[in-house]
Formats: sequence, C-alpha cells, structure tokens
Amino acid sequence: MQNNRINIKIKALVLLGSAMLIFNACTERIDIDLEESYTRLVVEGMVTTDTLAHTIRLTSTTSYYYSETAPAVSGATVTIDDGTSVITLTETEPGTYKTPTDYYGIPGRTYQLNIGLATAINGHETYTAVSGMSPKLTLDSISSVYHEDWGSDGYYEIKCYVLDPPSTDYYMFRVIKNGVLVSDSLTRVLVTDDRFYNGNYTNGVGIGFLNQSFEKEIVTPGDDLTIESSRITEEYYRFISQLQIQSGYQNPLFSGPPANISGNISNGGIGFFAAYPVSYSKTIASGL
Amino acid sequence: MSLGNQTGTIRWNHLFSQKLFSNFTLIHSMYDYRLGTPEGNANSFIWTSKMQNQSGKADFTWYINPNNTFKYGASMIVHTFDPGHAKGTGSESLFTEFTLPHNYALEYGVYLSNEQRINEKFLVKYGVRFSAFQNIGPGTVYNYDQDYNVMDSVVYGKRKIYKTYKALEPRLGINYIISNTASIKASYSGTVQYIHLAQNSTAGTPLDLWFASSPNVKPQKADQFAIGYFRNIKDNALETSAEVYYKSMHDVIDFKDNAELLLNPQLEGELRTGKGWSYGLELMVRKNTGKLNGWISYTLSATRRKIAGINDGRSYRAPYEKPHNISVVLNYEFSERSVLSANWVYATGAPVTFPTGRAVIGNVIVPIYSDRNAYRLPDYHRLDVSYTLKGKNKKNRKWQGEWNFSVYNAYGRKNAWAINFVEDQDNPNQTFAEKTYLFSIIPAITYNFKF
Repeated sequence: MQNNRINIKIKALVLLGSAMLIFNACTERIDIDLEESYTRLVVEGMVTTDTLAHTIRLTSTTSYYYSETAPAVSGATVTIDDGTSVITLTETEPGTYKTPTDYYGIPGRTYQLNIGLATAINGHETYTAVSGMSPKLTLDSISSVYHEDWGSDGYYEIKCYVLDPPSTDYYMFRVIKNGVLVSDSLTRVLVTDDRFYNGNYTNGVGIGFLNQSFEKEIVTPGDDLTIESSRITEEYYRFISQLQIQSGYQNPLFSGPPANISGNISNGGIGFFAAYPVSYSKTIASGL
Repeated sequence: MSLGNQTGTIRWNHLFSQKLFSNFTLIHSMYDYRLGTPEGNANSFIWTSKMQNQSGKADFTWYINPNNTFKYGASMIVHTFDPGHAKGTGSESLFTEFTLPHNYALEYGVYLSNEQRINEKFLVKYGVRFSAFQNIGPGTVYNYDQDYNVMDSVVYGKRKIYKTYKALEPRLGINYIISNTASIKASYSGTVQYIHLAQNSTAGTPLDLWFASSPNVKPQKADQFAIGYFRNIKDNALETSAEVYYKSMHDVIDFKDNAELLLNPQLEGELRTGKGWSYGLELMVRKNTGKLNGWISYTLSATRRKIAGINDGRSYRAPYEKPHNISVVLNYEFSERSVLSANWVYATGAPVTFPTGRAVIGNVIVPIYSDRNAYRLPDYHRLDVSYTLKGKNKKNRKWQGEWNFSVYNAYGRKNAWAINFVEDQDNPNQTFAEKTYLFSIIPAITYNFKF
C-alpha cells in the first residue's frame, strides 16, 4: 500500500579515472635581480691540539653575484684567551691572523676569541666567540677497503675501530693522502654524531670515502692514508651540517628551506671559531 | 620527476520517497609522486611518496517543505601514508633501500544543515558538522622536548588508537535578494583540516609533503568570513559577482630553518606551528549562453603566516600566495558538433627565498638569504587551446565518439618551476641563477568515446 507509492530508482555509477604525468625538466640561465643585504663580518678559524701557527681569517660578506674572492678585513686586533693566558695574533697577510708557531690547545679549556676592528662593520667594532675543547679520542686503528662496485670507478673506504664513549659525541674526519689534505673544504669533511654506535665498539664504520673518479682522490696500493679525527662540539657539528646542506652538497633535491647558518660569532657576525683536539691514524692502502 | 593521481568512485543514488533522496559513495584515491636522479651514477636514486584514502559516505536530502531543505549525512575515511621510500637505481648504486614508517589514520564526519527560505527576501543556510580524527597503529611516535629534540619514542601496535581529535564545524550563510537580478550573500564557516600540506619553498626544488595530524601536529583550524554582491545583467545573459573574504588560520605548519627533509623519520621535529591569515577580492563575469560563452575571473589576495622560529618570528608570505590571479575560459561553438576552447591563466610567481649576499667559509660559498619567501618566481602564464569534434549522432549507434585536438602552453612560455643558484664550472667565484622548467608546448590528439 504505502510501499507501492515508493518510487524506487536505483542508479549505479562507476567512475574510474587515472592520470599520470611524467615531467622532464630543462634548465636555462636567467637574470634575477637580487638586492644587496648589509655587509657582515665573516670569521673562520680554530684552535687545535697541534703545535703550529693557528689561523683566524677575517673577511666580509658581499653581494651574491660578487665574482672575486671575499674581501679581507685588515688592521684588526685579534686575541685568544684560554682562561689562563691571552695571546695576540699577528696579521701575516691581509685578513689572515696567526698565533705564534709554538701555540697549541689543551683539552678541557675554554677558548675565547676577541676581535677589535679598525672600522666598524654592521655597527659593531668588537666581536667575540667562545668554544670549549672536548677531551681527545684516539682511534685504535683504521683500515682501507676498495669497493670496485661503488660508483663508476670504485671507491676506497676508510674504516675505523674505536670504543665510542657513553656520552653523546660528535666527530669530524678528514682524509690525508700521502701527506696531502684531500678533504680540503668544509663540504668535503665527514661529520657525524654517534647515534648509530653510541657507547659501542665501532667495528669498521666508514669514516672516509675516496671516489676513484676524481683525480685528487685516486689511491694507488701502498699509498699512505691518514685520518685526522677530531671530537667537536655539538654547535660546530650543527654548523658544518647546515653549511653542507645549504651549499647543496649533500643532496640538492632534498635540501631544506633556505636559511642562514647559525655560527657562534657575536653581534651578527657569520662563521665559526672552533676548538677541538685532533689525533691522526695511519694505514697503508690495501691492494685492489 | 613524476606525479600521479588515481581515483576510483562508485556512487549509488536512491530515492526513498519523493521527499527523501540519498546518495552513497565509495571512493578510493591515491596520490603519489616520484623524484629521482638519472640512472648510472653511484648516487642515482628514486624517491617515492604516497598517500592513499579509502572513503565511504552517505548523504541524504530531505525536502521537508517548499521553504526548508534539510541535508544530513556521515562519512568515514581511512588514510594510509607512505611518506617516503628511497631506493638506489641501477647496478652502480651506493644506496640501500630506505623506507620511512607508514602511518594510518581514521577520519569521521557527521553533518546536519538546513536551507530555509524565511521570506521573499531572505534565504538562510545553517548547519554544523562534527568531525573526529584518530591515529591508529601500527605507528611510532617521537616525543620532543621544548627545543624539538627527540626525547624518546613510543611504538603502538596494530589497531591501537593513540590520539583522537574532535571538532565542531559550524556554518552560516545569508542570502538577501535585492531584486530579480541582484543579491547579496554573506557567510561564515569554521573548518578543521586534519591533513596538512607542508611546502618546502626552497629555490632548489619545490617539495610537497603531507602530514597527518598526530600527537605532535594539531589539526589546522580556520574561520572564514565572506560577503559578495551578485548581479545578472543584459537579461541574465551575463552573471557578474564581486566577493571579499577574510580567513584566519590557527595551527598552521611550516618547516623550520635548516630543516632536514631527506628520509628523516623525525620529520615532525622539523615543523613549527603558528598562525596564518588571508584576505582577498574575487571578481567574475560569466556568460552561459550564445555561440561564444565562458568566464573571466580575477582574484586579488594576500596570505601571510607568523610562526615562532621562522623568519625571526616576523610575518612572511605563505608559499602559495599569488596576489594576482586571472583566469579566462572561452568557448566558441561553430556547431553542436564542433567547439573551439581557449583557456588562459595568469598568476604572480610563487614566493621563494633567494640569497642576497654571500660569505666564504671553509672554501665554500655560503649564501646569505633574504627573509623567508621575500622574493618571487617569475610570473606564471599559459594559454591552452583545444578543438573538439564530436561524431555524428546516429540513432542506432550505442556509442558516441569525439576527437580532441589540443595544444597545451600554446605560446611556449617556459614557466619557472624552480630557480637554482649555481657556481660557474670555469670560475668558482662566479655564481648565476638557473631556471628549471618542465614543459614547453605540448600538442595532443585524443579520441574519446562513451558507451
């Protein structure tokens, strides 16, 4: 009765859609106007446990399209205070300030860099930076392995054997081949925290990689391979990591949002003053 | 790079009575994209990110009387996120496979609304939606301290619900009819969004990442107010409208400075939360009839964000802010079988962060950046043209076919997808800007048929 009046209408509709786009990217140079931001002081330098003339380099920032080497900042008074004594650095060439050749850092001390500029940059004449030096960690040994199947021409991997202390630690490793520094820029050094092996024996973890496609990194069996290992502060670790991200070295596809690198220089200065102990471990490159 | 979008829909309409109409829908959708580097290098790899939804909903419309139309319904969505999977490609690859853990969530909604004609002049719409969102295991949640450092993590087992969010979303609209040809509409809506899109506005590569609400990421809430004037002219041949809106957003997410995005299982720690707001004016003219029909629209808008820990806490442009947006769609019907269409879009270039200076540290050129999103990509514009020729409508034929000839980006505009700053190979002190674009002209011929 009532049901009879109900008008039943059934409509089923099936829609299936699919879209797939494949992009092939092309690139071309373009002109982009960039405003110039104000000039800032750039500080770069470190104190290590090695006995040598330690260098502090002072330069200034430039416009992004500036095509020369960074301008030196000359005529500054630069001192380093380790809590017990203060030494004054000498300007050996414009912007390069050196300690005496018998200078070395002592683990456990805190180092303060003081800079007095001849003329203010960005409204400031004095800049400071403080860095504590961690205890030394010497590797038990290192070894090298050739991986024929890595990359187009193979890689030499340098492996490390050491007991990592239970604390959270940060390390920096540089490769020296036959007395020549291979990791010659901050994007080529390897920095790591001890997330994967904290408190354990690092049974052959890779700390140096030599790409046999690059002339500078080619290893001949019998070559002398040295690792300079440094226990660095978390602050310096973050600084180098950010620098490696922002310079697009790690992987340009996945770099984070562009941002300025945070260093430890006061008054808006850019760069880092680091203090860290170094130790050296040597091995002879294995045969192929 | 590739991206895909696949949807399957099953819909069933049912008329319970002359007054009660229903609509049941099941939808499966999958959005994925892939990024990769060319094969053959030690560091060649392909990266995939996927988001899948299975949803079901039931919608009912009850025509109570000529003055009241009551709508109600319920929905449920099962979300599956596969945020990232990387794999080396080719035999020379250095990479081992790496998968970010999947995560799962359930979303529910129930709504009631009524459209009521109060008198000749006033029409009101009011309603409320109740929604809920639940994270369901298996899943790993990282706990962060106030500095966003990971303190510990909790692993939840299968089917374990580990976080529930609930919200009421009210809406109200008033339509005041001035005359046969003119009306004013005002509306308010409060909405909650449980799935967030975080855009990495890097000049290098735009990367979109989806985030589900979770113990660490609150749902985004928004309040929107709009008022518009609608008027038909020339005997209703032209519809015109002007509308202004203001939208206020809470718990908006964005990536912090120096965020690490590559296969980072603790991505939530790279997010910062704050507020956003946007406002704008939309103008539109539409012609529905005649051989020449189509529409022209123009939007003037601004969208800003203010998030502690980003841009020194000062407000900045949202990555999708495009102040000027023009869209022109025109169709010319030569006959019932043959139609020529043109579509032109124009938008201000998306905000990006560019270097405004540089420092040299450790033999590396380090860019010094502008404020977040202070620059823009070049403006985007494109013309698409298509011509459709339908087959003759033969009575006995069970199917109908049509030819479509189209040209995408007809004048070959090389719209920038990304701008990179690169060092000159010959002079490492020299840096220049390089634009990446994805398409130039793309002609296409397709044949479609319906049966």
